[in-house]
Amino acid sequence: MSEAARVQEIRAMIAAHKRWDFAFGVVGMLALMVGVLTFAALFVEMIINGAPRLSWEFFTHFPSRKPDQAGILSAWVGSTLVMLVTAATAVPLGVGAGVYLEEYAPRNWMTDLIEINVTNLAGVPSIVYGLLALRLFVYGFGLGQSILTAGLTLGLPILPVVIVATREAIRSIPAAIREGAYALGATKWQTTSDHILPYSLAGIMTGVIIGMARAIGETAPVITIGALTFIAFLPQTPLTGEPPAGLFDWVMSPFTVMPIQMFNWTSRPEAAFHQNAAAAGLVLVVMTLSMNALAIYIRYRLRKNIKW
Amino acid sequence: MSHSEHLSKQYDQDLEGLRSRVLQMGGLVEAQILAAIDAFAGGNQGLVDRVVSGEAKVDEFEVTIDNDCGQIIVRRQPAASDLRLIMAISKTVTDLERIGDEAEKIARMSGQIHERGRMPLEQFAGVRHAAAAAVAMLRQGLDAFARLDAVEAAKVIREDRAIDSEFRSILRQLITFMMEDPRTISAAIEVLWVAKAVERIGDHAKNIAEHVIYIVRGTDVRHTAIEQIEREAIG
Amino acid sequence: MVSTTIPEVSAAAAVAGAPAPVKKSESMNLSFHYGSFRALKEISMPIYEKRVTALIGPSGCGKSTYLRCFNRMHDLYPGNRYEGRIMLYPDNTNLLDPDVDPIEVRMRISMVFQKPNPFPKSIYENVAYGLRVRGERKRALLDEKVEEALRNAALWDEVKNRLHELAFNLSGGQQQRLCIARALATDPEILLFDEPTSALDPIATASIEELIAELKQKITIFIVTHNMQQAARVSDYTAYMYLGELIEFDVTDKLFIKPANKQTEDYITGRFG
Repeated sequence: MSEAARVQEIRAMIAAHKRWDFAFGVVGMLALMVGVLTFAALFVEMIINGAPRLSWEFFTHFPSRKPDQAGILSAWVGSTLVMLVTAATAVPLGVGAGVYLEEYAPRNWMTDLIEINVTNLAGVPSIVYGLLALRLFVYGFGLGQSILTAGLTLGLPILPVVIVATREAIRSIPAAIREGAYALGATKWQTTSDHILPYSLAGIMTGVIIGMARAIGETAPVITIGALTFIAFLPQTPLTGEPPAGLFDWVMSPFTVMPIQMFNWTSRPEAAFHQNAAAAGLVLVVMTLSMNALAIYIRYRLRKNIKW
Repeated sequence: MSHSEHLSKQYDQDLEGLRSRVLQMGGLVEAQILAAIDAFAGGNQGLVDRVVSGEAKVDEFEVTIDNDCGQIIVRRQPAASDLRLIMAISKTVTDLERIGDEAEKIARMSGQIHERGRMPLEQFAGVRHAAAAAVAMLRQGLDAFARLDAVEAAKVIREDRAIDSEFRSILRQLITFMMEDPRTISAAIEVLWVAKAVERIGDHAKNIAEHVIYIVRGTDVRHTAIEQIEREAIG
Repeated sequence: MVSTTIPEVSAAAAVAGAPAPVKKSESMNLSFHYGSFRALKEISMPIYEKRVTALIGPSGCGKSTYLRCFNRMHDLYPGNRYEGRIMLYPDNTNLLDPDVDPIEVRMRISMVFQKPNPFPKSIYENVAYGLRVRGERKRALLDEKVEEALRNAALWDEVKNRLHELAFNLSGGQQQRLCIARALATDPEILLFDEPTSALDPIATASIEELIAELKQKITIFIVTHNMQQAARVSDYTAYMYLGELIEFDVTDKLFIKPANKQTEDYITGRFG
């Protein structure tokens, strides 16, 4: 057929295909909007309810039977301390396991088995971790209902997250870099510490912080191990008390965390407590979003020098 | 020697075209010599003119083929036998062009000799004989090139001796002639040029045969003794 | 098994006035298995000191595999097995001996890879890494060796004022020269090149070839390349491999004008890939 007719045909076909393009774009946008608007609505509602309640006193008061005097001091301090213990648990164990599995473990059926199970761990419902922790940490090791127990417990579900993040980060290092290091006569440990770890730090940190952002909101396991809901005292200030054991008295102290405080307030009938819960929820969301922002920032800074 | 095909058919075609053009040039040059020798014997001015004007075509061949060789070098970066082939073709074409020049000289000299008319050229059957031998050498050399036959080429190189000794006897004959009748000196010298041209044709044909041995065996046999060349050709 | 011509280069064949070449290393019946696949088949080949030896052959012929035996790179991956020996002179060490630590081998023999692979560190730290791995810590010594290596790699003048900038900021050709400097900093006995210019443009390629021509006065070089003309330009000896076997080994000029083996001839004239 003639050139002109061919061109017409092509144009018609392109027009038809582009209509499908456009249609899918619309559908996708709608799907996105549903999620975004829902979250925005929740967030806005929480702000409207809770923002008026935010004040210096809110952050520095203990919970009380009078709603207007109640505060989240013990809750946010507790959350922070628990997160510290969680990090101290999950990071060394997770990174160490990840490095071992990627760099040192021989490729056999046993390693494969471990790998499969690590990924599965991430899908286990967190309350199951709570039950395990109750049996093992609270009663088995006798650690009681303390910050230490909570930290260890929350470390469990985020351990696979850290391991996987570590492995993914290590895998993204090109083989050429690794071979380059070995070719210069480096030992396995030299290659790992001079190259593998520094270059995968961005990915590892991202995984750690995202894991922690999840852990800060975990309620079920913490309740299971017995976090108290009404605490009107703070754990012993760290590093006070007689050394050596006294330095860490705080880890053995009873505690509460933000989600539990919120849960407690929402289950009260007075509307004022609900407002407190909204305010606390707002604080929690801001904490979580800040951690995610921190993760993104750290990733950006650490990856600046990496070009793969 | 590899006779299998290159991965690039175009390359094979280019080389084939090159080879056939060399053989065409050789054929043309052969015809030039034969016409020139006829002109020497019979004095036909028409033949002389034809040879002189045919020289332009020979030169054209030389330029075209050398240009093609350059093209192949730039495009294909030939190695080993291909490289030797291209280099040998370039040199062969130079030798053929020189042969063409010698043929033209023979024709022009012949024209002049017959104009003067004082030469009993029947006495110089030797020149025609040497010329026939030189043409046979050229034909055999080109044949050896076409078939890439080193043994055949070695035979051509040996035959050059015969032409050289033929030339020396023609020289002696001419000297005797000139001494007997000094009025014939100018004409005799022209016959000498013709004989010399024939001897040079033989030399160039020998060169072509040496190039063939270079292509086939990879050895440069220029300036080597004939016995060693024959050993080299057999391999 | 194809017969290989291993010319013990006679004094007559060597350039007049130049000293006869000395063997730095040679493989003896070297075979190599990836799992059950036999990638190299009883290769015996010399490498002469302070000369450039090139290895050519079609894709998959095993030339990179052969090269990587020299610095035991195959040890990094499971399932590989060496047979035969690679001797290093003058101390007669067999590089493939299980008692010989691969780290020791890699400290004596350095490698430059196909795609430039500088570490995401500064230029200085890249070059100094080989020295740090050996425990060198004195700043003055490191500075001196880094400068020497960068000069030998014809890169010093271009980077001397920005040694602490990231190596990634350099161009492709500069990065490859940086990798060469990094490999030279530890004074290796043999420098292995694995297709060093196949990822570079013609100008960068020419500068690397120029560098190799200078380096061979100081150090033995073994280069694998799929570019035949590069092998012809750069090397003193060339070996041709096909399907894991050594087909021919000879002085470069001779191999490219009049190869002894028809398979070699077919490869270098483009009669097969």
